[in-house]
Amino acid sequence: MAGTVIGEGLSIEGDLSSEEEVVVQGNLRGKLTTTDAVSVGSSAVIEADVSAQSLTIAGQVTGDVTAAERVDLQAGGRLIGDVKAARLTIADGASFKGNVDMDV
Amino acid sequence: MNGSVIGRGTVVRGNVRGSGSLEILGRVEGDVSVSGELVIGEDGAVRGSVSGSHITCSGAVQGDVRGSDAVLLERGARVVGDLTAPRIGVATGALVKGLVRTDGEPALGASRRPATGAARPIAFPARAVAPAPKAEPREDTGDSEPPEPKAAREAPPPPVVPVLAKGAKAKKKRKDD
Repeated sequence: MAGTVIGEGLSIEGDLSSEEEVVVQGNLRGKLTTTDAVSVGSSAVIEADVSAQSLTIAGQVTGDVTAAERVDLQAGGRLIGDVKAARLTIADGASFKGNVDMDV
Repeated sequence: MNGSVIGRGTVVRGNVRGSGSLEILGRVEGDVSVSGELVIGEDGAVRGSVSGSHITCSGAVQGDVRGSDAVLLERGARVVGDLTAPRIGVATGALVKGLVRTDGEPALGASRRPATGAARPIAFPARAVAPAPKAEPREDTGDSEPPEPKAAREAPPPPVVPVLAKGAKAKKKRKDD
């Protein structure tokens, strides 16, 4: 079970910092930081810089994204912002606008 | 199910609002407002006002708590702020510092005046405890048997059992000695 779940219909305005997995299905505006994984569900709308160990995006993210491990942009996902991660996958059908820095 | 959880290792600095239920096991520094059920766990803490339909609190709240249906403070709850709800339950072991008011009472017409709050602090312990049908049975199971007076008359023997047990123990001890 994920440690923190922001369900559909819930919205947070402000900073969320965590040491556990965060699943977002609702709205978040501000900043999201965790040392664990972040999963952005298909119903989620995030306007925030996101920093995590790994990040899976199936919803909408507007903001810069940093992951220590990897970023997976899934089909139907939408990301507007820069990505800084060691690994990045963009699935067919995903929308993405921004720079990629893979630390080469 | 549309449940949200703010986990044990999570801190939110900002406001949380929305529909559905929410469980707070971590920390929130800001206002929390949900339309559904709200649970504040043992290690949960909120610094800001809290509102929901049915609020169950075992953690700490520094701010006003408003429930459109009920507010229940469990053992270990610590609330510094006003409680407002049609039904309010405070279990033994819960700490409250603030004005407690069961909503919808005509006697308390002059509401929302902070200056009058200090004038009637004595009123709230009695009000708070009286409409707490859910919280009580856990705490004092011995006192919550009045609805069955006939059964109590028909069944007087229970006290005999411990007496026999004591005697048996005493005999055993003597034999052992």
